[in-house]
Amino acid sequence: MNLSQQFINGLVLGHAYALIAIGWTVLLGVARLVNFAHGQMYMLSAFVAWYVVSRLALPYLIAFPAAMLMGIAVGYVMQRVLLQLTLKQDLVSIMIVTLGFGYVLQGAAALMFGSTGQIFETPLSRQEIYLGNIWFTYQDIAIVIATVVFFAALRYTINRTRIGRLTRMVAEDPHLAQLAGINVRQVYLGVFAFEGAAVALAAALVAPRTPILTSMGFEELIVTFVVVVLGGIGSVLGSYVAGLALGFFTAFFGALVTPAYTTAAAFAVLIAVLVFRPSGLGASTEGR
Amino acid sequence: MSLGPVLEAENLSVAYAGNTALSLTQFAIGECELVGVVGANGAGKSTLVNSLLGWSRGSPRISGTVRLSGREISNMPTHERVRAGLLLVPEGKLVFGRMTVQENLTGLGNVPSGEGRRIYSVNEIYALFPHLAERRHHLGSQLSGGERQMLGIARALRFGPRVLLLDEPSIGLAPRLVATVLRTVRSLADAGLSVLLVEQNVRAAIEVVDRLILLERGRAVAEGPAATMRDDPRIAEAYLGAQAG
Repeated sequence: MNLSQQFINGLVLGHAYALIAIGWTVLLGVARLVNFAHGQMYMLSAFVAWYVVSRLALPYLIAFPAAMLMGIAVGYVMQRVLLQLTLKQDLVSIMIVTLGFGYVLQGAAALMFGSTGQIFETPLSRQEIYLGNIWFTYQDIAIVIATVVFFAALRYTINRTRIGRLTRMVAEDPHLAQLAGINVRQVYLGVFAFEGAAVALAAALVAPRTPILTSMGFEELIVTFVVVVLGGIGSVLGSYVAGLALGFFTAFFGALVTPAYTTAAAFAVLIAVLVFRPSGLGASTEGR
Repeated sequence: MSLGPVLEAENLSVAYAGNTALSLTQFAIGECELVGVVGANGAGKSTLVNSLLGWSRGSPRISGTVRLSGREISNMPTHERVRAGLLLVPEGKLVFGRMTVQENLTGLGNVPSGEGRRIYSVNEIYALFPHLAERRHHLGSQLSGGERQMLGIARALRFGPRVLLLDEPSIGLAPRLVATVLRTVRSLADAGLSVLLVEQNVRAAIEVVDRLILLERGRAVAEGPAATMRDDPRIAEAYLGAQAG
């Protein structure tokens, strides 16, 4: 049993989970909205990134803006469609519409990219590092660094900048925000576009770790769901902690018990946390 | 003053689920005028100020024309009317509770620079409301009722209002604070601001306003200078507690 290897696995996996979930965290925190197409947006972005690198043979760096543009476009279109429901805060309809949207994306992706699995190799994922008895890739390092930088920048933006203040105002009270001269629709559109961009960034970084399939969206959605709820809904710091916790849990549970029931066990932990600490892990350390 | 009205509304009508809550054929506020709108609960006072902005926490049907400084604004969304200079301090939740006083005053939409509009800087706000300056790092939710009113008014001043609409600023305040808030409003009007003050506290309002409008069941039933309205039996008996006869 190589515990230090599991630690590295958990660390990388945790950062990956946090990065995949961050778009939803902001969406929920700012717009009080849910997006059940989140997992399929991850999947689609992963395929766009893969296509750019593997089929068009363009540099890996080009895959990021390509995937992110796709994510922004999908987020924007979805919010245009949902705008009336958003303004009415009709959560049940939003849930169903986004769920449906996700399956449309999945069908479209299967048409475009086929339903066989693909390996998304990047210059970073091919470079391996062996340190004693542990192993990781440059891709893993990139994931951890990018996640830390992204979360720090996001926290700064939310707490310290004008655009952060505007979004927090809309998050707290969209009606009152109108009286403060804020174009609430624009903020909602912006937040959805941000979500698309964030999940696409996550996909371009994380997808090279495992084979990609057009049917993988639901799995990513579940991971996101656990991270967002565990982190305390809408809390940026909380979802970082929750992502890490889930990463370590997955790695160690898989190694020490069995990988077969990791998801089930993660949900058991989620239920326990919600029973004993209903506002999530991050709720007390941070106001939002 | 012979200037035209800074804010005027024609055939303003608001209905909630088919029930008419407000119906005014003609309504106007002059430059530098402080107008009070009084009436009982449910008379349509809040509905009036909200509809001028096309704003509501419910979903009313609003019709009619609203002009601000001669420019029609009835087709604009709320945030554009705000930017055009029509500012409302609503009743109830009027500050952002999870943001500091300072953030409440700085995290605003685009503050326009307009002809003849007096936009208060944050420092001017603090000079005007020293109390807010002391509490600049407190959260909105930590403020007292009076401080929230001040912050609501202060936030509106940051936009350089052409007209300031205040919805029940005295509600829930101790009598001494009511006087302080209304005195502040009066001094803003004296400094050149046009104000529409909605009040249930007629006794306090009549002391500061230039003109008073009495609303009943969504209609203006009496209107006139404060001094005259004080003796109007409908006001005197129902709201000022004067002895009949």
